[in-house]
Amino acid sequence: MSKGRILVIDDEDIVRLSCSRTLVPEGYELAMAKNGQEGLKILEEGSYDLVLTDLKMPNMDGIEVLAKIKERWPSTDVVIVTGYQTVETAVKAIKLGAFDYIEKPFTPDTLIATVSNVFRIRNK
Amino acid sequence: MRVRKSYTSLTGKLILTIGMLMIAGSMLFWLFLFKHQEKELIQSSVKYGYSFVDFVRNSTRYAMLTVHGTLIQQTVEAIGGAEGVMNVRIFNSTGKVVYSADKKHVGTILDKSSPLCLTCHTASGPVKDTPSWKIHKGEQNYRVLNIVQPIYNQPDCYTASCHAHPKEQRVLGLVEADLSLELLDYSIRQQGIAITAYVVAFSVVISGTLCIILWNLVSTPLTLLSQGMRKVASGDLDHKIEINRGDEIGELADAFNTMNSELKKAKNELMDWGNTLEKKVQEKTEAIQRAQQQLIHSEKLASLGRMAAGVAHEINSPLTGIITFGHLLLKKFPKGSEEYEDVEVVIDQANRCSNIIKGLLGFARATTADKAATNINDVLNSSLNIVRNKADFFNIKLDVNLDPALAKVKADAPQLQQVFLNMIVNAADACEGKGAITITTRNVTENGNDFAEVEFRDTGYGIKDEDLEKIFEPFFTTKPVGKGTGLGLAVTHGIIQEHGGKITIKTRVGEGTSFFIRLPALKETS
Repeated sequence: MSKGRILVIDDEDIVRLSCSRTLVPEGYELAMAKNGQEGLKILEEGSYDLVLTDLKMPNMDGIEVLAKIKERWPSTDVVIVTGYQTVETAVKAIKLGAFDYIEKPFTPDTLIATVSNVFRIRNK
Repeated sequence: MRVRKSYTSLTGKLILTIGMLMIAGSMLFWLFLFKHQEKELIQSSVKYGYSFVDFVRNSTRYAMLTVHGTLIQQTVEAIGGAEGVMNVRIFNSTGKVVYSADKKHVGTILDKSSPLCLTCHTASGPVKDTPSWKIHKGEQNYRVLNIVQPIYNQPDCYTASCHAHPKEQRVLGLVEADLSLELLDYSIRQQGIAITAYVVAFSVVISGTLCIILWNLVSTPLTLLSQGMRKVASGDLDHKIEINRGDEIGELADAFNTMNSELKKAKNELMDWGNTLEKKVQEKTEAIQRAQQQLIHSEKLASLGRMAAGVAHEINSPLTGIITFGHLLLKKFPKGSEEYEDVEVVIDQANRCSNIIKGLLGFARATTADKAATNINDVLNSSLNIVRNKADFFNIKLDVNLDPALAKVKADAPQLQQVFLNMIVNAADACEGKGAITITTRNVTENGNDFAEVEFRDTGYGIKDEDLEKIFEPFFTTKPVGKGTGLGLAVTHGIIQEHGGKITIKTRVGEGTSFFIRLPALKETS
C-alpha cells in the first residue's frame, strides 16, 4: 500500500531520477513525464494525489500545466519545482492554486519534507 | 568737434538755397524799384524839357511876330548857353535851321530821311504834328533828351502886318532842344551802386544769421548724433549724446540715448545668457556622461543578470542530481569513514555552486525592481531578525540607532532587504566574529535634496586603497575561497543605483569601515 501517487514532470532526466530515488524508498508511487503534454496524458489515464512540475520547460511551462491541472483535476495538489525563482512567479503560482514551491537544487530532506507536508494536510 | 563744412552738408545746402533765393528776390525787388524810379525821373525830365521848349518858343514869340531875326538868334544863343542845355534849334517848315544856339547849324537843311524829320513825317502816312521826345546816347558818357515841339500857326501869325504865313498852314516850324541827362544818369548810377551794396549787405547779414542759426540748431546736434551712432556701431554702448533741448532734435537725442541703454541692457543679458548657457551645457554634458556611464554599467549588470538566469536554470538541475545522489551515497558509508567525508566534500562543493548561482540571480532581480513607499527602519529590523540568531553574530556587539522620523523612500523592499543583509553579513565577516557593528539611520540634505541615509559601521580590518575602486566589480572578493562569491557588493551597488541612490565608503585599515547608503527621500503627500 503506497503512501500516495505522485507524478513528476521535468524535462531533465537527472531531476526525475533524483525524485524517484528520494521518494520511492519513502513509500510513494511515482510516475514520470518529460513534458507538460505527456504529464496531462498520464493524468487522464489515472488519478494522482500530487504533481511535482518544473517551471521552465519547452512548449508548455509549469504555470500552464498548473492551470490545466487545477481546471480538470482540482483535487490534485501541485508543487512547483524551479531553479529560477522570482517573487512574481511564486505569487502567480500560489494564486493559481499551487500548494508550495521547491527551489532547485534541493536536498532529499527538503523534498521529503515538502511532499510529506502535502500528504499530511491532504489526509487531515 | 569736427563739423562738415562743404556745400554738400545739410547746412551748406540750406544756406546755399536760401541765400540764392534771397539774392534773386532782392535783385528782382530792387530792379523793379530802380526801373520805376528811373521812369519817374525821366518823366519829370521830359516835363521839364517841354517847359523848356515852351519857354524858348514864348521867349522868341514877340521877335517872331515882329520879324526880328537877330533878336531871335540872340535869345536862342542866350538860352542855349544855360547849364544842361546842349543845343536849341528852330526849324522852318522846309526843314531849314533858321536859328540855332550853335551858329554853325544856321542855314543847314535837314534831309527828309533824318531821324528828326521822321519824328513827324513818315514816307507815306499823314504828318504827325504833336510834340515828341526821345533819349539817345550822347557823344559823352551820358544820355541826351531830345525834345521836339511844333510851332503852330496862330491868328497872331497870319494876321500880323507882315503876313509872313498863309492862314491854311498849320505848322510853321519847330523848336528842337537837346538837354543833357548827365545829372540824371549820375544819380541813377549812384542809386544802382547803393542798391547793389544794400542787396549784398542784406544777403550777407541774412546768410550769416542763417548760418549761425542752422549751425547751432541743426548741424552741431546732427554731427553729435552721427558721431554717437558711429561710436555705438564700434561697440561703445556707454556713449551718451548731450543735447538738452526741448525740440525735435532733443527728442531724437533722448530716443537715441534710450535706445542705446536698452541695447546695452539687451547685450548684457545676452552675454550673461551666453556665459551661463556654456556653463549649463557643460553641466548637462557631464550629467549625460554620468547617465551614460550608469547606463553602460546597468546594461552590463542586466546582461550579466540574463546570463546568470540562463546559467542558473541549466546548472540547478545537475546540482540537484549531485546533491540528491551525494546524500544517497552518504547513507551507504558509516559516519567518520574516509568515503563518508569525501562524499560530504562533494555535497559541500555542490552547495557552494548553488550559492554562486543564487548570487548571480541577484543581478537578474536587481534590474527589475517593484518600487513602493518603504520605511527603511522596518526593512532593517526584519533583516536584523534574520541574522541576529546566527552563530556568526554571537560575539559581535550590534548597536542599532534608528531615527523614528526617517523619511520614507520609494523602493523594492525585498531588494532593499537583500542589500541590508549583504551589508550586515559583510560587516560581520570584516569583524571576524568579534568587535562591533553600528547601524544608524538619519535624514540628510545635500544640494537642497533630501535623502534617507543608513550607515553600517564595523570595527573590522578596513579596506586597502587599491581594493577600494574594485569592490563593486562583479566577482571581486578578498574573502577566502569558498567564503564569498564576489557578487554581494556588485548586486548591492546595482540595486542602489536602480533606486537613484548612492553608496559611499569611509575606511581606515585596521580601524574599520563605514558604508553609507543614501536613497532619495519620498516627498510627503498629505
